[in-house]
Amino acid sequence: MMVPRRRVITALLLASGLLVFAALPGFAVDSVRLKLGTIEGEGWSAQAVTVQLNWLDEQHAGLVLQAQDVALPEGLGELSGVTLSCARAQYTAAVVNCAQGRLKAQSSVLGRQNIQTNFRYQFDTGRIDTELQGLHVFDGRLAITARLSDTHWQTTLRGEGLSLPAVTRQLAATGIAIPVVEGGSRLDVTAGMNGVASQLSEADVEIQLLAEEISDAEGSLAGENLDISLHATVKTITTGMQVMLDIRGRQGALYVDPVYIEMPLQPLQLSARFDWLSTEQQVVLQSFTYRHPGTVQLEGRGHFSLAADAPLRELRLEVHQAEFPSLYDTYLQPWLYDSALADLNTAGQLSGTLRWEQGQLSHVSLDPLNLSVDDREGRFELKAMNGKLRWSDTSTPVRSELAWESGSVFNVALGATRLVFDTDRAHVRLVEPVTIPVLDGALEIDDFQLESGEDAALRWQVNGLLEPVSLSQLSLSLGWPELAGKLSGVIPNVRYDSGNLEVGGVLLIRVFDGEVTLRNLTLEKPFGLVPRLQVDARASNIDLETLTRTFSFGRIEGRLDGRIDGLDMESWRPVAFDAEFVTPEDDSSRHRISQKAVDNISSIGGAGVGGALSRSFMRFFEDFPYQRLGIRCRLEHGICDMGGVAPAAEGYYLVKGRLIPPRLDVIGYADRVNWDTLIAQIMAVTGQQDVIVE
Amino acid sequence: MKILRLPVAMTLLLFVAACVTINVYFPAEAAEKAADRIIRDVYGEQPLETETPVEPQSRIQPRELASAVIVLLDWFISPAQANADISVNTPAIQQLKASMEKRHQELAPYYKSGAIGMTDNGEIVVRDQKLLPMKDRNAVKGLVSKENRDRSALYKEIANANGHPEWEAEIRSTFAKRWVGNAPAGWWYQSKQGAWKQK
Repeated sequence: MMVPRRRVITALLLASGLLVFAALPGFAVDSVRLKLGTIEGEGWSAQAVTVQLNWLDEQHAGLVLQAQDVALPEGLGELSGVTLSCARAQYTAAVVNCAQGRLKAQSSVLGRQNIQTNFRYQFDTGRIDTELQGLHVFDGRLAITARLSDTHWQTTLRGEGLSLPAVTRQLAATGIAIPVVEGGSRLDVTAGMNGVASQLSEADVEIQLLAEEISDAEGSLAGENLDISLHATVKTITTGMQVMLDIRGRQGALYVDPVYIEMPLQPLQLSARFDWLSTEQQVVLQSFTYRHPGTVQLEGRGHFSLAADAPLRELRLEVHQAEFPSLYDTYLQPWLYDSALADLNTAGQLSGTLRWEQGQLSHVSLDPLNLSVDDREGRFELKAMNGKLRWSDTSTPVRSELAWESGSVFNVALGATRLVFDTDRAHVRLVEPVTIPVLDGALEIDDFQLESGEDAALRWQVNGLLEPVSLSQLSLSLGWPELAGKLSGVIPNVRYDSGNLEVGGVLLIRVFDGEVTLRNLTLEKPFGLVPRLQVDARASNIDLETLTRTFSFGRIEGRLDGRIDGLDMESWRPVAFDAEFVTPEDDSSRHRISQKAVDNISSIGGAGVGGALSRSFMRFFEDFPYQRLGIRCRLEHGICDMGGVAPAAEGYYLVKGRLIPPRLDVIGYADRVNWDTLIAQIMAVTGQQDVIVE
Repeated sequence: MKILRLPVAMTLLLFVAACVTINVYFPAEAAEKAADRIIRDVYGEQPLETETPVEPQSRIQPRELASAVIVLLDWFISPAQANADISVNTPAIQQLKASMEKRHQELAPYYKSGAIGMTDNGEIVVRDQKLLPMKDRNAVKGLVSKENRDRSALYKEIANANGHPEWEAEIRSTFAKRWVGNAPAGWWYQSKQGAWKQK
């Protein structure tokens, strides 16, 4: 605003001087043309300036001011072919007034302009009033009114139908860090400013944006059908500026990578009051409110140092009325793609406070209210979590509480639980023992410690006890055939380190009237796509009748001992083990194998044998006594090295019959068997849908 | 002299042992075939392998009265041939492949539109998110991120399954070529120089 003012003043003073000169008696001049050459001011210069006056009558003159080139302050470009003309300017001793003037110029920024203008200059006060109408700017129109005096100036800008792409392109070209967007949009701007000399004192800016579809070049900032308004007031203070900002989004959708926001029914609102300290390059955020109705309301204050690599110095962020699922869906999920929390159904509320000090997160206080999370991949679920979660970046522990009403892990139901724990900078410690109901049993946790190392690796360890859980419920939960029995165990030392779980102690499973013990259990990435489990198992005194009934294999009576050493499972499928299941040497129970069981074993071994057996004389026997039975398999690289209970002349005995008739031997011949095909055959025979090998 | 013989023999043996280094070369051709098998499954093309019918391989031998022996000849199955092939038949690899097959249904339209492209390191990337509806951008980024995690795991698992963890990089670059090689015309891929090309 300073530039036209000075130029006009200079020109007018010169012209008025001439007018005074010309008005003296005896100097009847009709026309004057002055070549002023180059004139300069602070930040601008005009070259080849001429002024021409055509005397009309005693009170009026025609005025033409021309400049070949005008260089404007940085960012405003250059003007060429500037002509300011006023066909009939009023002249009195007090005032020069041009009611209908015209300014023509070619601007390097705004293109060719032909602007209707009026101006008025008062000699006594030096005050100028001017109005410029119909500037073609940014594909729209701009009107400027200005009032300039020796000390103060005041101006109003009204832009209508400006194009946001053109505005952002121009702002970016002047070095302002603003994303350049493309797409159809309409921007209406009203700005009132006033100041002293070259200083802005106050500004009041209102912007209304309507955008059908806009996007920056990368698509990381985009909007559709947007209706956004902005109101800002700026006040200059000695150290910089005071800014009040109010932005409202009424309609449409906005994408600010990676957050996608659909404007709620009630406007989305961001209000802020901040001071910009120009010499320190700092922003003192006095207060701000971000209101996303139905999702979250954030309030806070902070301090940013824009010259620093990490501008955030201090921030206090209060989270109010955070509603799930929309908080998770809109603001949290985009940041969690690589975590176990990537795909959740959520419900409930959350409130709390977060604080950053010296650029670091220093305090967290979050209170979930009936918060539920449910993994869409079915790995875990916690329902109706309530509590107070506290953390601070100090070594002094603070007390936290968390309770849930129910939950599940891999579909195994967990009951209501309340945890009380202390946290400090890098640790979480259970304050009192806790009992987590698991199906009809419980997991008793005596102590739990979590440590987050400097390398951000998570380690925890837990000591506990598993009170008997019924296997029938467990197996149904896991989608296995229903097993009878109980699972229990002392879990003296479970350690988790960077995704790997290691179970010390012995897990005891009472199943099929016998016992299975699990030792050296480790689990890598249990929630990953390819979990890996390693364990050594022992089975003793398993009742075969219960076992074969469970798997509808055909009745076998007798007892079975077994071992599985070095069981290595990937994605819950075995890749290696060394296993042996045989009739105990000293077993005195009744040993019978039914014809159906023999048929099934035969079917696994080769088609059609069952039929052959039933066509033979043996069909008259419903079952056969046996001396011992057993199978060995050492699995490696998909191949099972097979063996039986004893070597036979060719191969090995899987079932060794009694000497007294009816005698039946089942002999295995192949010593190397493809595991996958073997499993497929077993599944076909027992009618199971999926691999169950434990 | 006799006393000296043993150390001399041992030393010689040591030399021999030191000279015999077993070079295991990366089986490039087999790796390409293995990659093609997996990739065609993921892309959902018709598998090339055909199942061979299996002959009954057990027999029953009635012996004397009320006595029989069932001989299970081959458990129906012949053991897998141990050859210089690249093995891709572990549960982990199957699991990863299944996960990628499922995801591919969702990714396919974005390959086609050019929103997603194949990088020269065997991964995928959102190459032009403006081609994605705004509200789908995050979901697609999530898919891409999960796909890349699976792919990295796959290359590693294949190297491990074949007992040569050091082959991971070569397996990755083999896959990088074959993802592009097996892709239909119109999909975008990145050249070694980083420029995007349309197949």
